Amino acid sequence: MPVLNTPHLHLLMNHVPTVGTVIGLGLLLLALMRRSDHLMRASLELFFLVALASLPVYLTGLAAQEAISGLPDVSADAITAHHNGVLLAFAFVELTGALAWLALWQFRRLARPAAWMSPAILLLATVTVVLMAGAATVGGEIRHPEIRPDGGVLAPAAWVTVDAVREFVISRAWTWPTAEVLHFIGLSLLFGVLLVVNLRVLGGLKAVSYASLHKLLPWAMLGFGVNLVTGMLFVIASPEQYMTSDPFYWKVAFLMVAGVDLLYLTVFERLWGLRAGDNATLLDKAIAVSAVAAWIGVIYSGRMLPFLGNAF
Amino acid sequence: MDLYLWIEALGPSTWVREAPTVWGYPTVLTLHTFGMSVLVGTSAVLSLRILGVGGSIPLAPLRTLFPVVWVGWWVSFVTGALLFGAAATVRGMQGLFLAKLLIVAAGTAIVVLIKRQGYGPNADQVAVSRTTRHLALLLLLVWVVAITAGRLLAYVT
Repeated sequence: MPVLNTPHLHLLMNHVPTVGTVIGLGLLLLALMRRSDHLMRASLELFFLVALASLPVYLTGLAAQEAISGLPDVSADAITAHHNGVLLAFAFVELTGALAWLALWQFRRLARPAAWMSPAILLLATVTVVLMAGAATVGGEIRHPEIRPDGGVLAPAAWVTVDAVREFVISRAWTWPTAEVLHFIGLSLLFGVLLVVNLRVLGGLKAVSYASLHKLLPWAMLGFGVNLVTGMLFVIASPEQYMTSDPFYWKVAFLMVAGVDLLYLTVFERLWGLRAGDNATLLDKAIAVSAVAAWIGVIYSGRMLPFLGNAF
Repeated sequence: MDLYLWIEALGPSTWVREAPTVWGYPTVLTLHTFGMSVLVGTSAVLSLRILGVGGSIPLAPLRTLFPVVWVGWWVSFVTGALLFGAAATVRGMQGLFLAKLLIVAAGTAIVVLIKRQGYGPNADQVAVSRTTRHLALLLLLVWVVAITAGRLLAYVT
């Protein structure tokens, strides 16, 4: 019997997107008022990590839905409203994290991010907080009749619904294959770029400075973005295929490691200072090995999912 | 057709098709994905650099990436041959599969040309020529078409 099951994990983690974004927003406001780049970077790094952690929050939520549907005291309406609300909130928390990452990358390249960056991130993070708060409130109502309003569930209007996404993926014969094609193109771009950058840290391509290869990182992020969108389409359209499959959970765990490594590659000082001919420290090499290994783990567990899991 | 039947009956083909273990078909397929991502991903970086992405990255040292590209190529080739052998009578008659082989052959030729023209020993002294840039762009397109064809093969058995 596992100590933690997926509904429990969802309960443990589900405050991260809401509370994390509120703290990030506070840090960002403080950074703007005090004109402090250090605070600004801290808030951007937090936004990136919150976006990363929101992925398992969403996915354990899907698993929790499978586990608790039909239990007494559980409101099916609240589950539907929660999931619909989360869809848009998740999109915004990911957008905020992606833009925060780009700003961190620009801090490196251009000494400071473009002028429109901080207002844009401020706006996105504010929208995220509003959407997350709405989604979280309904989430609480799933299991707590005492906070449900008399008329049933207090659900914000949903612009995008889970059913609409499912319909888009399943009712059109071309959507799934097209998303698969894009998923493979995205993974090649992502893996190729990160392989080259990490090879430099490991001592291949030593004649090239780390800073010049750092320019390639947004292309890896582009590949990741394509795969996040297409991957979410698969999961939303067919959650039962993934939620009952162990390799899918390994894949998400490997993604967390890979995401933290990507942040390290983007912002840390010691790597940035590697000039042509310089050797990276042993610790940095170990991190580069973990990054490549984590991506291999992501691709392996994704590709082996139909064979290792019990899903198909 | 006889040739395809003969290939399908070979030991490795039968093993990939029928062995009731994850080390058979699933692992060969997964290695094909790894080979593809290394081949396409690394050569895409080399093409992007030719096209001006990361303009301060010196060209000549990137030559050392070509062995990585070829490792990806060989892994794709060996696992691809095994996957073909396991279903030779089906794949050998499929227009989409044969088209994919031609596209990959074209991609391979372009990689060789890019290495010769864009990453020669004097690569840093000469500006990247128009032809090389066209080749780099073509390679990206060719790989997109190859991945599309390969991925769609899963839906047309």
